[in-house]
Amino acid sequence: MLETSNASARIVQIAFLAIAAGAWYAVTTTGNISPLLLPPMDRVWSALNTLLARGQFWPPILITLTTIAQAYAIAIVTGVLVAYLVTRSRFLTEVFEPVIAGVFSIPITLFFPVFILFFGIGPASKVAYGATYGFFPIALNTIAGLSAVDERFLRSARSMGASSFDTFRHVLFPAAFPVILTGLRVGFFISFASVLGGETLSSAVGVGRNIALAAELMEPARLYAWIVFVILTAIVLNTIVSQIENRRRDY
Amino acid sequence: MTTLSNDKPTAISIRNVSQRYGEAGSSGAVVALQDISLDIRQGEFLCLLGPSGCGKSTLLNIVGGLFSATEGQVKVGDKIVKGPLPADISFVFQESTLYPWYTIRENFDVAFKFQRVPRNEWKERTASALQAVGMSSFIDHFPNQLSVGMRQRVNLARGIALKTDIILMDEPFAALDEQTRMVLGEDLSELLAATKKTIVFVTHSLAEAVFLSDRIVVMTARPGRIKTIVEVNEPHPRSPDFMLQPRFSELRNELYALLRDEIRQAIATTGGSVRPSGD
Amino acid sequence: MSALAAKAGSETPPRMTYASRVVWTRRGVIAAIAVFFEIYGRTFADPNLFSPPSTIVAALFQKVFAEERIRDAIWITFMEVSVAYVMSVVFGLAAGLLVGWTRPGRHAVYPIILLLYSIPQVILLPLFVLIFGIGPAVKIAFGFTHGIFPIMVNVIAGMRNVSPLLLSGSRSLGASSIDVARHVYFPHMVPSLFAGLRLAMTLTLLGVILGELYVSTTGIGYYTKLFAERLDPAPLFALISVLAFMAILLNEVVRVAERKFTRWKR
Repeated sequence: MLETSNASARIVQIAFLAIAAGAWYAVTTTGNISPLLLPPMDRVWSALNTLLARGQFWPPILITLTTIAQAYAIAIVTGVLVAYLVTRSRFLTEVFEPVIAGVFSIPITLFFPVFILFFGIGPASKVAYGATYGFFPIALNTIAGLSAVDERFLRSARSMGASSFDTFRHVLFPAAFPVILTGLRVGFFISFASVLGGETLSSAVGVGRNIALAAELMEPARLYAWIVFVILTAIVLNTIVSQIENRRRDY
Repeated sequence: MTTLSNDKPTAISIRNVSQRYGEAGSSGAVVALQDISLDIRQGEFLCLLGPSGCGKSTLLNIVGGLFSATEGQVKVGDKIVKGPLPADISFVFQESTLYPWYTIRENFDVAFKFQRVPRNEWKERTASALQAVGMSSFIDHFPNQLSVGMRQRVNLARGIALKTDIILMDEPFAALDEQTRMVLGEDLSELLAATKKTIVFVTHSLAEAVFLSDRIVVMTARPGRIKTIVEVNEPHPRSPDFMLQPRFSELRNELYALLRDEIRQAIATTGGSVRPSGD
Repeated sequence: MSALAAKAGSETPPRMTYASRVVWTRRGVIAAIAVFFEIYGRTFADPNLFSPPSTIVAALFQKVFAEERIRDAIWITFMEVSVAYVMSVVFGLAAGLLVGWTRPGRHAVYPIILLLYSIPQVILLPLFVLIFGIGPAVKIAFGFTHGIFPIMVNVIAGMRNVSPLLLSGSRSLGASSIDVARHVYFPHMVPSLFAGLRLAMTLTLLGVILGELYVSTTGIGYYTKLFAERLDPAPLFALISVLAFMAILLNEVVRVAERKFTRWKR
């Protein structure tokens, strides 16, 4: 039953892509839309090829990926560390969790000019911005995961004489892991999006900057080529992450 | 031999009912029920007893029109069962089917609404049914604010408030502890004596079956067939004293002897695994 | 544990309950952070980059609320967020119910929505500007596309995993499929809907602010950028706190509604 529903779902999804591509083709060939807003598919394709062929693609991608990796690494380390410290007691959790959640309900984007002010227009400001955004979901999910571990597991570990490190290593961490993983996933995509966003808003280099530049220079084919590239990257990353998650869930 | 006269009219008639899952002949095919025929008399308390997986719940769901049988038919009065008959049959399930998002009062109201009970009767019916199970003061609580036992009492009260002639109960006390079970069993016996309803009750508790039933239908392991029918001659309402009488133990031992082989067989075929698909 | 602590507190009268101890400690922590920034702002901080909280509060009244242009900008941002949010809720709820209600919808369309949701929308911002210009339209559109996804996703997710027991219970009571939709699927979905509504509020604000930061001639985002470029941190932080306050306020409105409608969960 599961296989058949998956297969039919796949068919609908492929049909969706086909319809979207068909609509794109139809709209651009009948000339109902300005090529400035939606250029024909073949022009986007050749723009994509040009970018790849001239090697213009790789330097900005390398910069953006490095920025994302740094931002994400900082977000993980700080997020997990803060969550571990906060969950040392129920009292601390109840004091700090709403504060962290409250700050996260404010759009951190507002502080973007402040990041530029502090760290300049280069990649450093995007690292800081992406790390700040990624920190919150990781910290909040890790707090939720660690504080929701069934008390009975902890009591039974203690009754068997486990040290506090043993308890963390063998009980707390594995029990909280699925929730922490959710935080890591959300954190990654938020870091990813905010680094690109930061580059689009104000930057000299990177993928986001190139998207903004193509728009400013009124080069829609190149703009779409970059957008298609980022969307494909996002889809590939998303698929990889959900594959990993599904595998982990089997135990 | 029986206190219930056999000439009482038939409330439910089950004719040659079989139920199969999966394609016939394929490796995954399961015969849940095989050729069940049974007449249930009006005002009777009938228990379906059998090992796990023998199809007792399936049979109950077929009688209530929630499943349709692969073969055979069920008649309630003159009507052939093709779907739920809310005007004639109400269900009480193993877990409470009270909607968690409505208060007890709203749960009753919505059930009356589904069943098309005139609005002016709602209040009175709710009040008297809750009174009967001693839950009147919880009328404005949400189900999650009550204990499992209290919820199941309310669930039972709702089944009664619907005033159908037939109530089908699918292990209604299975999730409760032994004491609560016994108290609710007594309540049920009293209600039964007062209202003369026809009740079909699925259980795997021998004591519960003997304490409550007029007749006990013992079923075989899969495929479920009727192995035998045991009569319990004891008028309702029954008091806990009934359990102390030698006849109670005799009946229970008899049932156990009947079931033991079936249960062993069920364990042998399923490897004793718990089947989440239900009985 | 909280009940225990509360009881221990009542035996020695002047001590407070566990819950109020939590609240007061939290307030203390926030106050300590404010004091830290006040001292930092007055001693070590570069005055071109950072201002102590007291100066920020002063700037709030002298430079932000005092100027009509900035007052208008705050109002414009608020209106843009409101319009975008209402649109997200209406269309997100409708689309979510439509998709979530049918099996093919849940199995085939839902993954597409999830996939679209995972695309970093910010890369489309330059395109939005090409399409909608630099007026309020682009900000509303961008806020709307940010807000609609969490609502759709949560509505659809909330309609899955309805207990089969409740469904057969309803059927046995004679409920029609409309009854089941109204009394089972919809209430079952409400808590998840509210989670979506809160996330959508944050994301709508994000979308509007992104639009204002990228290219705009007014709105809170525009002025924060302006003050940052002028190296004038006091009104910059004042303006940020106005928007933070707006975010918290809007969030709280949704939370109050949530508490009212999900009372049965507790």
